[in-house]
This record gives sequence, structure tokens and C-alpha cells, in this order.
Amino acid sequence: MNFYGGTIHNGFNDSRNSFGGFRGVDDYNFQPDIDRGFITRAHTPLTTVTSVLALSYEGGVVMAADLVGSYGSLMRFKNCPRIMRVNANVVIGASGDYADFQYLQQIIKQKIIEEECLDDGISIKPRALFCWLTRVLYQRRSKFDPLWNTFVIAGLQDGQPYISCVDKLGTGYEDKQVATGFGSHLATPLFREAVENKPLPSKEEAIAVVKKSLEILFYRDARSFDKYLLATVDSNGAVIEEPQLIKPDWSLAALTECP
Amino acid sequence: MALVLKNSSAALNQHSFSPYADNGGSIVAVAGDDYVVIASDSRLSTGYSIYTRDQSKLFKLSNDSVLGCCGCWCDVLSLTKLLEARMQMYLHEHQKVMSTPAISQMLSTMLYYKRLFPYYILNILAGFDNDGKGVVYSYDPIGNLEKSKFKAGGSSGALLQPVLDNQLGLSNIKEKPEAITLEKALNVVKDAFISATERDIYTGDSIIINIITREGIREEKLELRKD
Amino acid sequence: MSILSYNGGAVVAMKGKNCVAIASDKKFGIQLQLISKEFPKIFEMGPHLYVGLPGLATDTQTVHARLKFRQNLFELKEGTRMSPKVFSSMVSNMLYEKRFGPYFVEPIVVGLEPDTYEPFICNMDLIGNVCFPEDFVVGGTCEDQLFGTCETMWEPDLSPDDLFETISQALMSAFNRDAGSGWGAVVYIIEKDKVTTRHLKTRMD
Repeated sequence: MNFYGGTIHNGFNDSRNSFGGFRGVDDYNFQPDIDRGFITRAHTPLTTVTSVLALSYEGGVVMAADLVGSYGSLMRFKNCPRIMRVNANVVIGASGDYADFQYLQQIIKQKIIEEECLDDGISIKPRALFCWLTRVLYQRRSKFDPLWNTFVIAGLQDGQPYISCVDKLGTGYEDKQVATGFGSHLATPLFREAVENKPLPSKEEAIAVVKKSLEILFYRDARSFDKYLLATVDSNGAVIEEPQLIKPDWSLAALTECP
Repeated sequence: MALVLKNSSAALNQHSFSPYADNGGSIVAVAGDDYVVIASDSRLSTGYSIYTRDQSKLFKLSNDSVLGCCGCWCDVLSLTKLLEARMQMYLHEHQKVMSTPAISQMLSTMLYYKRLFPYYILNILAGFDNDGKGVVYSYDPIGNLEKSKFKAGGSSGALLQPVLDNQLGLSNIKEKPEAITLEKALNVVKDAFISATERDIYTGDSIIINIITREGIREEKLELRKD
Repeated sequence: MSILSYNGGAVVAMKGKNCVAIASDKKFGIQLQLISKEFPKIFEMGPHLYVGLPGLATDTQTVHARLKFRQNLFELKEGTRMSPKVFSSMVSNMLYEKRFGPYFVEPIVVGLEPDTYEPFICNMDLIGNVCFPEDFVVGGTCEDQLFGTCETMWEPDLSPDDLFETISQALMSAFNRDAGSGWGAVVYIIEKDKVTTRHLKTRMD
């Protein structure tokens, strides 16, 4: 399959954005979908980002996500921040297609600007943003043109820790802890274990569990990375810290030869 | 040839996106003369992954109507939001809350409106009919509606329904059927869920029971096994 | 449609206290068409040994005949009755011989072990994967419904009479919610010194 074949070809032939100009044009041997009597929109993600982790603690929430953007199996971009501060009460994190996230990020930024222009001191709360996101994503899936993301919304809802999750279909739910992508298999069990006896851990405990989960994901998720962003939302506001590095311990790999 | 290959891969990609998901879950509803019980499990899942163990699938529509929905959760969220809006419009237009039979008809119409791109939801509506007796309405995804005294649906529907037939419908039992008391109904609902959880991986974690009487809606919760 | 549900039919078996029960419906159909209301799916293979063969009707009969043939050879050669345990191994082995072109039956074997009269039940899939549960086994087109009814109705150490009531109610309630099975039922209660066969009249629709 050449460069213009397979998924990449379909990515370019996708009508939903600026490449839509190819429609009806037979350059590059593209078969215009419209001639076949139907419109293809559903694409596959190109530059992808992996798990988002979020855990609530006494008085707030913590969210973490690494910084790599993968192009298939290629580690293509090494600085793709994907935790966004919405306001002092809300952050959102994204996994899935990075371009779709950036598109939605622009819309949310515009919403924030419009909100600030009103200057009435009211800012969007996490549950409202969650509800809005379910509607946006559901509308797109109903047009067979989904935004290929899973979003995690975290923050304080009326002073209480709040976490929720929306996927590309518009499936949404709230929980005390959420992990997307590979993290749903590797991190969720660790989170659920951590909150089993103590529903709301302390901030330090929560951050420790999230960091440990990132480390485990770094070992086993081939699309993950050791550089990550960590955000907390509590009475100190929404703070996204400077990028941090996982310090891996490969001594646990028993058969690794150490020179 | 290359062109054909490209087209077929394009066609394959066309199908790689499905707008539907099966998020599991089960609903049971039982109606008596002066009560209705409706219960759902609280597990929201996809395949072998559990999204959350604490998601009620019951939606309180009015003081005497509760809707239970399971299937494709994104459709559930959309349908229930629309339903609440339509009920609000009815309230403002007619100056009264919609009755259960009115909701039942509207829900059927709303589901059939999406006949060609259906809401993938199993709906069970519990409430009181115009004579003030408990009633259960159940639907298929495209709006076929049936009125009954008890109904089970969702991923464990096939496991639960014959149990209700036996314990509440008293099929194959010689004794004359007596009116089912609220206590009996509650016990059957709980037992049926406990049994279904043993054999259905999409049902579990806990059940949320709404008991609707003329006094209002009372909620009960019962833990189920988490595996 | 699955070949396993082409003809329809249901079999269920349960353990009790010093007894076992096996029951089935009587239907033989071809998809939506009813052919016969007296089609046996449970076969006596010894004084304390029964096998139920829900699935494709032609394979029910073929597998029964081939099992009887092999069992006869065994019993002539060894000069002893086949125990349920040995019998189920033989069934499993015979099914696995046809691993890549299987018989479309999911056998259920029940009986009492010789000497100890210990209750025995087992079931297997169409290629012979065996399972020996402590409570009950189900098979056929209304498997899901049977799981629901058996899981709620069965309890340990049922007497033969209670076991009959339980298995009958479980089977009837289950197949009344399945278009693929029904039209009468037969129940066998196997005890140390007697086997009771009862035919149930059920709804015929």
C-alpha cells in the first residue's frame, strides 16, 4: 500500500474539513465517494493521544495525561498538551484524535471569551460543560461524522469534587474516578482499589496513585510517554503544573540485562 | 485493481464507525393496584469493561411516573432529555403534569419518529393509569408499546421474564392468583436480580428500586455482586 | 440462524438429595413450522443413566444411536454397566472426534453413580467440553430463560417430590417464553430404587 493508499488516503479524502476540496475531483486517483451515491464521513483517527487519568480526593480532583502524539505506531509529536484549563473550577482532558481535540478546544475557548464578555461573574460549572459535551458529541455521531475523542471533565461542582467522561458517541457518565483508553484497563483497577475503603483519599494519596498509574501505563502502553502534565482543581483553583517526568524502574524487568 | 482495493478499503472504513454501543443493564417493573415498583441495576458497561458501577437507569418524569431505560446509553441520555423538555412544554401549554398514559403515547411517537435511525433503547415506563391503578408500559426500540402488569427487559430480560411469569403471573400454578402485595413484589424483584447477576455479566453492582405509591416515590438500594 | 436452533428444543437437569432429575420439552419443529409434538430428546442409557441431546434433531438421533453402539461394545467387552462418569467421557470423546465438523447437539448426562448412588449431572458443548456443576445444567433454545428460572428456583437437597415440582416449574416457565421449544414436557426423576416418568401438559402455542 503506497503513501496515498489505506487509512492516510481516507484521511485526506475526508470531506469534513479543509481537505473537502478533493470532493468530486479525480486527482490522485481518488474515487469521489459522492459518485457512489453516498457520502463517507466517518474517519479513523490520525494523530492520537492515549489515556487520561482523573481521581477525586478530599476537597478536589487530580487529572494527569502524558504529552505524546502518536501517528499510528510512530511517536510523532512529543509536546501535545491535552489538559485544558477552562476556568478556576474546571479542567478537561482529551484522548483520541488530537486534531479533533484542538478543534473543540477552540470552540470552548470562544465560549469562555463570550462568558467573560458578559462580565457577570458567572463561569461554567463542570456538570454544565459535561452536558454540553455530550450534546456536541452526540450530534456529531448522529451525522456519522464523530469527533474521535474521549473527554474527561474534572473540577468542583458547587464545592464538591466532580469527574465525568464523554466518548465519541456521546455516552456520558459521572464517577469518583475515570481513566480513558488503555488506562481503563490498567489504571481503573488501581483507582478502585485506592478508593475501596476510603472513598475520598487525601490529595497526596490521590496524586501518588495517579503517578503510579502513569508509571505502569508507561511500562505497558506502547503509545504512552514518560513526560506528562498533572492538574489539580481544589480551593486553590485549577492548576496545571509544569511537565514532569516519570522515573521508571526497569529493575523489575527480571530478564533485562544490565550492563 | 489498485483502484478496486482502495475503494474496498474505503468501504471498510465506512463501516468501522458504529453509532451504537451496547451498554448493558436490566430493568424490571411490577404494578399492583395501588403501587408500582420499578428497578434497574447500576452497572454501565461496554464489552468486558465497566464504565461505572453507580449509574441509575431510572428517570423520574413526574410524581407518579418513572421511566427505566437501557441499551445504548448515548441514546438514553438524548431521549430522556428530549422527553423532559416535551413534558415541560406540555406542562406550560396545558397547566398540568402529563399523566402516565399520556407519557406512554408520547414516548411511542417519539421512538417511531426515529424509525429509520432508531434510539437503541429498551424502555419500560411505570406509573398509574387513568383509573388510578398501577400500570407498566414496555417498548421496543422503534415504539411498539405494550401495557402489562409486570415486565423485565434489557441484557437479562430473557432470564428475568420467566421468573416474573412464574412468581407474579402464577402461570402453571393451580392456586387462584391473588393480588400481589407490595412486599411480595419487592421480594420477587430483588430475588430475580440476584439470580440474573449470577449469569449475566452486563448486570450487577447494585439495584436501585423506585416504589411509586399515591404518597410519592420512595427509593431503595440493594448491593449485588460486583464481578 | 444457528443450526443449533433450527429444530428447537430444551433440556434441563437438576441435582437433589439422593436423586437427580432431567426434563425436556416434546417439540420437533423446522424453524417456525411445527412437525411433531412427541419427539424424544432424553434417552435411557442404563438403569440409573440418562442422556439429553438438545440441538439439531437429526444429530440427536444419530448421536443417540452411535452412543448406544459404543456403550454396547464397552459393556460386552468389560462385562459391566457403564457409570455416568465413564459415559460422559465417552460422549465428550466422541464429539471431539468430530472437532472440525461437529454434531450439533449439546448433551446433558445425568445419573446415579454405581455403588455410592451419588447424584451425577454434567453437560457439554457441541465439541465435547465437559462441565460438572453442583446444582443444575441447562441446554437448548431457551437456555437463557432456563438460567433465570433455575437460578431462582433451585435450592440444595431437594426431595424427589420437591425436585419434580422445581424442575417442572423451571422448564415450563422458561419454554413458555421461547418460540423454539415447548408443546408438552417430560420429566424423569431418578432415585436409587425407582425412576419416575411424568408427562406434563402445557400450553400449546
